[in-house]
Amino acid sequence: MKKLPIILLFALGALCSRAQQKITGIISDQNKSPIPGATIKEKGTKNGVSAGTDGSFSISVKQGAKLQVSAAGYETKEVTATDNLALALNAESRNLTEVIVTGTGVATSRKKIGISVESVTADKLPPAPTASIDQALIGKIPGAQISSTSGSLGANVAILLRGVNTINRGTMPMILLDGVEVGATNLNSLDLGSIERVEVVQGAASASLYGAQGANGVIQLFSKRGKQGQTNIDISSSVTSNDYLNIGGLRKARLHGYNTNANNEVVNAAGVPIEFDPLFGYQENVVWASTDPLNKTDKPYDQNLKYYDHFKEFFQKAPTYNNSITIYGGREKMDFNISMSNNHQVSNLKNNGYLNRTNFSANFGIELVKNLRFRTITQLAYTKNTTTLFDRTVIYSLNNTRAFADYSFKDADGNYLLHYGDAPGVNGSNPNYELQYHNKSDDRLDLLQSFDLNYKFPKFVELDAKYGINYSKRDVVDLYKNQTGNKNAVLTSPTDDQYHTFGNDVPITGDFVRLLNGNTQDFTGELDNYFFNTVFQNFLATATLRADFQKDFGINIPLKSSTQFSFDYRKKNKKDYYTYGYGVPTYEPYTAENVTDTRVIKNRTEPFVTYGFLLNQRFEYGEIAGVSGGFRTDYSSAFGRGSKPFTFPRGDAYLRISSFDFWRNANFSNTFQEFKLRAAYGKAGIQPKPFDRYITLNPIPFGDNTAFYTAADQPNPDLSVEVSKELEIGTDMSFSMSKNSAWFKNANISFTYWDRSTDNAIYRVSFPPTSGQASYLDNAFSLGSHGIQASLNMNLYTDRKFNWNFTTNFGKQTSKITSVSGPEVVVLSAAGSSNYVLKAGEKIGQLFGYLALHSIDERDADGNPYIDKADQSKYTVASNGWVVDKATKQPYFTPKQYSFGDPNPKFNMSFINDFTYKDIVSFSIQWDWVYGSHLYNQTKEWLYRDGIHSDYEKSFSIDGQEGAWTAFYRGVYAVSSRNGTKNYFYEDASFLRLRNVSVAVDLAKAFKIKGLKRLQLVLSGRNLVTKTNYTGMDPEISSGNTTGNSNSAFDRGVDHNTMPNLKSYTAGINIGF
Amino acid sequence: MKKILLILLCTSIVISCKKQLEVGNPNVPTLDKATTESGFLSLVQGGTYINGFQQGAEDINGTFYDGVPGHFWSGAIGFHDLMGDVIGAEAANVFLNQLAVPEYVTMDNAVKVNNPNSPKKQPDLIRQVNTNANQGQNFLYHEWTYMYSLNKASNRSLALVDDVAFGGNAETRKDAIKAWCYWWKGFAYARIGSIYYAGIIDDADNGTNGNYVTKEQIIAESNANLDKAAALLQALTDDADYEAIIGRLIPNFFKLGKGNVPTPEMWIRSINTLKARNILVNKTVASMAGEDWNNILTLVGNGIKANDNVFTARSSADFLTTGTVAIKSSSTLAGGSTYKVSERLIQDYKMGDKRFANNYKQTVTWIGNSDRGNIFNTRYALVSGGNGMAGVVVINNSDVGEGEMYMAGTYEENELMKAEANIYTGNTETGLGIIDDLRTYQGAGLTPVKGTGLSVAHAKEELRRERRVVLAYRGLAFYDARRWGISEDISRGGGRTNAVVIDADGKLNTNATINYNFLDYWDVPDNELAYNPNTGTVPVKNPK
Repeated sequence: MKKLPIILLFALGALCSRAQQKITGIISDQNKSPIPGATIKEKGTKNGVSAGTDGSFSISVKQGAKLQVSAAGYETKEVTATDNLALALNAESRNLTEVIVTGTGVATSRKKIGISVESVTADKLPPAPTASIDQALIGKIPGAQISSTSGSLGANVAILLRGVNTINRGTMPMILLDGVEVGATNLNSLDLGSIERVEVVQGAASASLYGAQGANGVIQLFSKRGKQGQTNIDISSSVTSNDYLNIGGLRKARLHGYNTNANNEVVNAAGVPIEFDPLFGYQENVVWASTDPLNKTDKPYDQNLKYYDHFKEFFQKAPTYNNSITIYGGREKMDFNISMSNNHQVSNLKNNGYLNRTNFSANFGIELVKNLRFRTITQLAYTKNTTTLFDRTVIYSLNNTRAFADYSFKDADGNYLLHYGDAPGVNGSNPNYELQYHNKSDDRLDLLQSFDLNYKFPKFVELDAKYGINYSKRDVVDLYKNQTGNKNAVLTSPTDDQYHTFGNDVPITGDFVRLLNGNTQDFTGELDNYFFNTVFQNFLATATLRADFQKDFGINIPLKSSTQFSFDYRKKNKKDYYTYGYGVPTYEPYTAENVTDTRVIKNRTEPFVTYGFLLNQRFEYGEIAGVSGGFRTDYSSAFGRGSKPFTFPRGDAYLRISSFDFWRNANFSNTFQEFKLRAAYGKAGIQPKPFDRYITLNPIPFGDNTAFYTAADQPNPDLSVEVSKELEIGTDMSFSMSKNSAWFKNANISFTYWDRSTDNAIYRVSFPPTSGQASYLDNAFSLGSHGIQASLNMNLYTDRKFNWNFTTNFGKQTSKITSVSGPEVVVLSAAGSSNYVLKAGEKIGQLFGYLALHSIDERDADGNPYIDKADQSKYTVASNGWVVDKATKQPYFTPKQYSFGDPNPKFNMSFINDFTYKDIVSFSIQWDWVYGSHLYNQTKEWLYRDGIHSDYEKSFSIDGQEGAWTAFYRGVYAVSSRNGTKNYFYEDASFLRLRNVSVAVDLAKAFKIKGLKRLQLVLSGRNLVTKTNYTGMDPEISSGNTTGNSNSAFDRGVDHNTMPNLKSYTAGINIGF
Repeated sequence: MKKILLILLCTSIVISCKKQLEVGNPNVPTLDKATTESGFLSLVQGGTYINGFQQGAEDINGTFYDGVPGHFWSGAIGFHDLMGDVIGAEAANVFLNQLAVPEYVTMDNAVKVNNPNSPKKQPDLIRQVNTNANQGQNFLYHEWTYMYSLNKASNRSLALVDDVAFGGNAETRKDAIKAWCYWWKGFAYARIGSIYYAGIIDDADNGTNGNYVTKEQIIAESNANLDKAAALLQALTDDADYEAIIGRLIPNFFKLGKGNVPTPEMWIRSINTLKARNILVNKTVASMAGEDWNNILTLVGNGIKANDNVFTARSSADFLTTGTVAIKSSSTLAGGSTYKVSERLIQDYKMGDKRFANNYKQTVTWIGNSDRGNIFNTRYALVSGGNGMAGVVVINNSDVGEGEMYMAGTYEENELMKAEANIYTGNTETGLGIIDDLRTYQGAGLTPVKGTGLSVAHAKEELRRERRVVLAYRGLAFYDARRWGISEDISRGGGRTNAVVIDADGKLNTNATINYNFLDYWDVPDNELAYNPNTGTVPVKNPK
């Protein structure tokens, strides 16, 4: 592609004629590594040479000629020819000259595309402590909502590109690595260090080339390639200290309101101080007159019950270590890049193991014969997770435990207690118990291998074949040791009214949600083995025909044509095999062979095949305009009856107004250099799930036989692919503001408006119970979204020493359900019992609940007072702003439920500043701002249940009576509906966050150390500052990571004991040879 | 030319690829697997036990299912025993700790403790909870859904049975299956008509209808189906073909105790007992006419005998996975289980009743949170497996496969109906004699009451207590509370006096008055009405 401007320059040139001079020099990169093969052209002539392997060149040019120096992967530079030229090229960054691959079919200069594509190069991606790509992308993609919704080890980020387009499949976009789909490996398993740049196309219009899998957008990763020149070795190493955030200062009340005697000893119902029993914990409950209007939460834990800071007891600061080594280089016809890295994250729960990931990546390219290139790209990730406790389960348990439970206590046998009786709370249990008896090992191997064979005919035709295989294998051994020796557990298990059940504890999307005490029947323990195995294959064959009407056909129109024809085949096979055993011996080894009873509880395979054809035609008219159009036809094993194909049309166009003569000749063109208008329309799809269309019987072992039952939720053999259509219009502009001053050198602005709809979104349509089924899947929903995205990138200051770049990204979007065929559909948040109702005209993800009021005569939408006029005298507004019943001191809640509105953010923005000083010191800082988002603070609601939350200590007045009125807080939980969804807990979760700040000093450059290209010390911090009104631990979290589905389309707005993000400080060193 | 070659190449790829698209679901059987005799029997069996009692209300998203009360035999039946004051509950799931809280309790010292919940009256709670948006949190939803799922599964089996090729005597085998289906349809309608104010009658194998009928019509439909089953059974004998069907539909792990295959005669007797229940539980005792009692006497006279096999169930790794009401009420310490044993149940045991001694133990008093009701506190734990007293009935055994759970009528229920009908028709001594016999049968070790000159009122009290303790944990307690008027508002003659209540401060009251004031018949769940509106003229909401 780099040929194009060069050819144009040939045509323009050769007007001058002066004396010749011989110029020699060396072309290198910013790290002083030579760039072999760099092209040095005399501007305006056909005269040109290539640099040798050491970057040196020699060329004869006219006196005072301009040299244009270019190389693939670098920005082209133009200099006046002088002898002994030492020129360093800057690596290509996001600007209008970069070449875009994703969504364009044929790689095209950013100047000449009609769709919006976001791209970011590796050097702009801050290395997160997780060393993963997903975390690094936060705030970097204008328009996209990429959020870190949990600080749990290995948690996925939530990615919402443009709108909610499906309810069935979540918002996760398709991930490509060098053109091949990553179909089995999590984005967070890939090593950030092996990635050169990332491109993101966000909507159906820009992703319709990807057909039935493009509707959620595409994130394409490009792995690092070696550059021609001497072999480089980069080593880097860093250590991070991480700590859970607790922005809202969540803690337990230090005071209580239980019945006490004169000595402030907490007493039982009979007035006798309650005692801790080493067998039972507390046999007797505290007496908590929580609805007594006289009860105050004002007594200290200073006698028989003491206050324990459970967070302090179980949470810790924990380190993360990152180490990597990369070797890269290349010769004329080959290049290579090999790297190895290790990421080791210690759990922030004490004694809870670690997550260790080792990545190996290799990228080799070779020109086998002239014009026939072969490339092989390998990514290997081995992840070992030894964490036994899922931190969310622990915090849930702790948040359900009153502050006086001493979880560090061991009985006479040296065992931890499981339950402490009802007194500290019925849903609490001791995490130390689980640490004592539970072991888990989780090993995962991911392989991504792709091969690319590319042949360019001398003219017109280019053929390309890619084959990729993505294999993922995960073995989990989950052991609950025999607990029959634990007297407390045997005596007090509150689940002794339940059976053990085989397979009660199957993992939900990767997380293991299970009973804390394992086998609930007899405490003989469990030994469960889970095997997950996924093979994903992607084959892509592409033929590209290019023609230049002037050059190839002699027709005097500056028209270029490219035609892409592709065949794209994907096949996935997912296998799950679980065995469950109980009756674990009291001796080692704990193997499945040694347990009393085992059973295979899952043996499933999930095949999926899809393939399609793509035809895309594109024309470019000179530098001025371009248009492209095409379609893709897809077949799929998941499409309805008969697997009829589905066709997705597309089209886009751009007009570069700044390329017209009137613009070029105008004075302002020196400043306003580039002005492009673009528009694109396209359809793209989301596949139904692999078995959504297959009606089957469900077998269940039933004694000596197998019984068949019919599923309450039925599939639908006639499902069609969900089709999202989108129109986007946008503009790209670039300004060069001051040529002479160091300030405001240049700026790039991009703006896109998009509007899209999905007319046949799949979800379960409810059936009346008398029909004998609960629901069936149908293309019954219509969804509509629109939004804008914008980015501004400015070079604020540049002189020979100092450089300051500023970027801001903006996104605003909203999605709603435009129609539903049939009545409303109610779904529950898997995070607690918060209800979502899917009905026409409502925003997706809207919560419904009971309203507490701020004024006694507050009226509903119909103008009727919520509280009957006759009853209003019973109520008053307390000093905390809520309407309360004067007699009971309980708050008022409506008996009916109302919408709380859209919890999704009104907009999100990021502000990124990068400063460099002489290539020696660099400083970067990124702020993320999410505005107008809401979270349902279900964590707090649970903490309100047993009087655990610190709010209980807060004094306020009701009718002039001052006190920390227990009945009010308890009433917030209990009135109208216990644990019901209530506006009291629906909070503004807007936040401004210092996502990243880092400073780096390159000692090798500062002190000109010989033999070292780089010796960089880096100090950085992540999530160091957060400004928010949210009262929970972290406003950025959402239901997603509670439920294991961080990309749920609707279940986003609930904080239910979700783990907060981490605050991290990192020190690192990067060495380059 | 190259383009043409390419297109040809692709055409051949399409043809070879298209074959791959029918991946099916290789993990589970396809529908045609249910068309053989053995496959069909698997379908009938799964339709009854899984669709009917376990899986029917549990969808993939878990929207309709809550693990705390669990499936039909622990959840839906548990709601009856909660409202019947056999058990209490503290967990908030499915409004367990609200659905059966009395409006108020007056303690021994005359202090009136109101329901701490909001709303304070159960009928108001029901109206607030009964919206589709509450999904499975709506406790009205569960029994309706399970029983209509059972009905629909039976309809499907009936629709398919004539198309299946049976071995042996095909007609006998088909008739046995039909009897099975009508029996369970009769059972389903019996449960629906005995708790919901209206219902629908549906014989289709697909879809539903919006023609709601009264609860009386539902009970009539129950009897009609039971009669169809009885008519088929009259013509059947306990032969190899009968055994090949019914012996296969009843799984082997049920075939212990009373759970062996009932002969057609025994089964007809089960039908009679259930039909007698249909009469008894759907009228208040005050409104029972002599004809009703006589009808009951006729039915129970040919009802279940002491040695009859009846319909029972036992747990396995896959069935009754959430236990039963009794399993969920058993614990080591009082209050240690999901359901807490009610003090009012314990006080209904007569002094010296070995059944009490064998099944309960007193432990440290459990005091629940005071904001969850006033009557849940208890001193007693139901002991799994009993306390080892020989010859005395064991109420529950929580070990897998050990506990025998009665699904429909029992000998005890039949005898108690017989006794009650006798007492109410002037044959007090006959009635008391039946009670004595039953106590002996269960190993109660109580002195006989027959011939002790008890007044009719005392005889009725003997009967009340006997029904309470014998039929506890079986989902019949609320029927009794309703027909005896106990669940009514005190102003209308309801409530319970002389009740044992441990108050929030742990004080034992023995003379408390409880005003339950529960709705007698539930409204049709909104989860149904939202998707199947009423097209008929019968009201779907209890006017009370």
